[in-house]
Amino acid sequence: MERRNFIKSMCAVTAVAAVVTPSALLAKGAPKGGNVLSYDAAVAAITGGKAVTDSSKVKLTVPEIAENGAVVPVKVNVESPMTDANYVKAIHVLGTKNGNARCADVMLTPLNGKGYFATRIKLGGTQDVVALVEMSDGSFLRAAKPVKVTIGGCG
Amino acid sequence: MEIDRRDFLQIAASLGLLGAVGGTNLFAGEGAKERIKKLSFSDVVAFEPKGKATILHICDLHAHLKPLYWREPSTLISAKNLVGTPGFICGEAFQKHYGIKPGTLDAYFDTHNDFTELAKKFGKMGGIAHMKPIIDHVEKERGKENVLLLDSGDTWQGTAVALKTRGEAIVDAQNYLGVDVMVGHWEFTYGKERVHELIGKMDAEFISQNVIDNDPFSDDFEELIFPPYSIKEIGGAKIGIIGQSFPFTSTANPKKFTEGWSFALRHESLQEYVNMLRKEKKVDCIVVLSHDGFSVDQELAKKVKGVDFILSGHTHDPSPEPIIVNDTVILISGSHGKYVGRLDIDIKDKKVVDYNFKLIPVASNLIPADKAGVDLVEKWYKPYNKELNEVLGTTKGLLYKRDTFYSTFDALIGQAIEAEMKSDINFNPGYRWGTTVLPGGDILKDNVYEMTAITYPEVYTFDLKGEVIFKLMEDIADNVFNANPLLQQGGDMSRITGASYSIKISAPSGKRISDFMIGGKPIDMKKTYRVSSWGGNLQNVGENLDEKAIRPVYEVVSDYIRKKKVIDIPLESNVKILDMDCGCPTKGATCS
Repeated sequence: MERRNFIKSMCAVTAVAAVVTPSALLAKGAPKGGNVLSYDAAVAAITGGKAVTDSSKVKLTVPEIAENGAVVPVKVNVESPMTDANYVKAIHVLGTKNGNARCADVMLTPLNGKGYFATRIKLGGTQDVVALVEMSDGSFLRAAKPVKVTIGGCG
Repeated sequence: MEIDRRDFLQIAASLGLLGAVGGTNLFAGEGAKERIKKLSFSDVVAFEPKGKATILHICDLHAHLKPLYWREPSTLISAKNLVGTPGFICGEAFQKHYGIKPGTLDAYFDTHNDFTELAKKFGKMGGIAHMKPIIDHVEKERGKENVLLLDSGDTWQGTAVALKTRGEAIVDAQNYLGVDVMVGHWEFTYGKERVHELIGKMDAEFISQNVIDNDPFSDDFEELIFPPYSIKEIGGAKIGIIGQSFPFTSTANPKKFTEGWSFALRHESLQEYVNMLRKEKKVDCIVVLSHDGFSVDQELAKKVKGVDFILSGHTHDPSPEPIIVNDTVILISGSHGKYVGRLDIDIKDKKVVDYNFKLIPVASNLIPADKAGVDLVEKWYKPYNKELNEVLGTTKGLLYKRDTFYSTFDALIGQAIEAEMKSDINFNPGYRWGTTVLPGGDILKDNVYEMTAITYPEVYTFDLKGEVIFKLMEDIADNVFNANPLLQQGGDMSRITGASYSIKISAPSGKRISDFMIGGKPIDMKKTYRVSSWGGNLQNVGENLDEKAIRPVYEVVSDYIRKKKVIDIPLESNVKILDMDCGCPTKGATCS
């Protein structure tokens, strides 16, 4: 298998993982029929309807313009202690206009040491990428940034 | 009343302008030449020095070793919030903004107005043999050890001699000029390996903090490809220079040339380098050498703190005055070798306390050529002279590049492709480099290369559905007219032949284009059209690519001109702008 193909299949695995993780939470917003899940439904499934606060503690790094919409690098770094009393419990990455908005879910424990996650996601077009973070006290923090996906071609 | 040389020339020239519209032309005949001669080299380089350090700046030479004619745009349309601001200003609006009198040398260099008349008076622009005496003059005045020559890139590509020597002729010219540090964009279209080879031949350093390894399986994943910065001491001060190559290289040009490298603005890491150079390296002044584009750099200066100067490039703007955003001074020095920017910096107690900047026009008739430069150009051209000096035909009207939607040289290229490929609609890239041929002038093969000399010159012919064509046009329009400069890519609109449309610049993304006609009929979204294009990525979304018809664009265009002999291209654009009344609006999108 060539590297490139291997990378592609890795991304596919990430996507699958995104759907299979916390199954209890997913029950309500699970895709019906095709792989379709709107952003609002995805957020509701993750938060269970709890309030979400935009926070500068969530550092989201994405390119202004995607070099390749099929593999857009995303980094999420949460400024937070990672102690038993106070830690980052989960990082969710969403693409607001993707067919299935839910791109990646990562569950963390204090043993992770850092509230950090980096991956590559596929974006179907120009849209906002959202990092939705669940803290151990049950609160939800959020950061969003637009990413432009274009065929490009000038200079 | 005392009249100095400059005033005299300006007065005489404005009278000359009257001549052009029917009065007496003071510049006719031998008397005219006499008056031009009164403006001399010392006027061109006149400058009020500051401090002890000098940075000379060039950008977007596009491999023009020889002098050329280069007409600035007569249409430069942008999002409404940006109209009339530096970077989106042309013609009379430009002259008014910078207080330039019509008919002067500055008006000739900076604007399109009366270009043909002024070209006859002032002659060609640029050329390395004419740039060198300016550099020598400044080095003599300031002391060679106190002067740096920085190059914002787009230097290795744009002419036949560059393409045929795969950039080597241009690197030789940079060594001759004495370039100290550079960044890149079109440089990358020679491919990764060649870029490294040419850097090896170059005396200058190639720096970029925003190009990183993108291959997760390589040992240096996410590590820098080039040194991110350089520290130079001039005039007793330590200058930290940080490199920004073109952030959108991998979307604007074929990915194959830079596979495995990632390009982006990376303003967060830029800020880290600024802080590090100040705190750890104790530099006195921070310069960002950039190919971001003039408007992107104005946005960058809002995001990054502690930068003293940004020496910009990419968008080809001549900016006679600096732009100041927060505490950062942003400069850009035109294109095609038309100017050498001079920046004098006064540094006291580890701080920039004063500066002065001027765009020195490389007016080839006023600057005697340096012999070594002439010889260098001769040497590199010699093997190709026979091919490049072929007169393919003549043009009745002015052939020029630039403008937001339409230019005559692009229309000629479009006609040539249409005649050979017989497609329904043709796309020509909205590059901002090229050349200008005066009315009645010969069109040389060299001129055709000046418009098309790229490492991926293939004209592709393929099928596209109407709805795809329409979506592509909207996508391209959003890259040009987005209100946020960070989402623009710094080119002009792709030119189309065989079709026409109306555009509302201020409409939301995806809703700007209307009245799209192909072959005189409204576009049919369900119909499949035959499309030709070069210099872009469109063929990647097409079907039924005609492999046999693929030919380099410069050969297609040369054949067409040879056949036609006399070229006559209409000045009228095939694009109607619905919400602007002129090509060069002033602030607030008004036309005077």
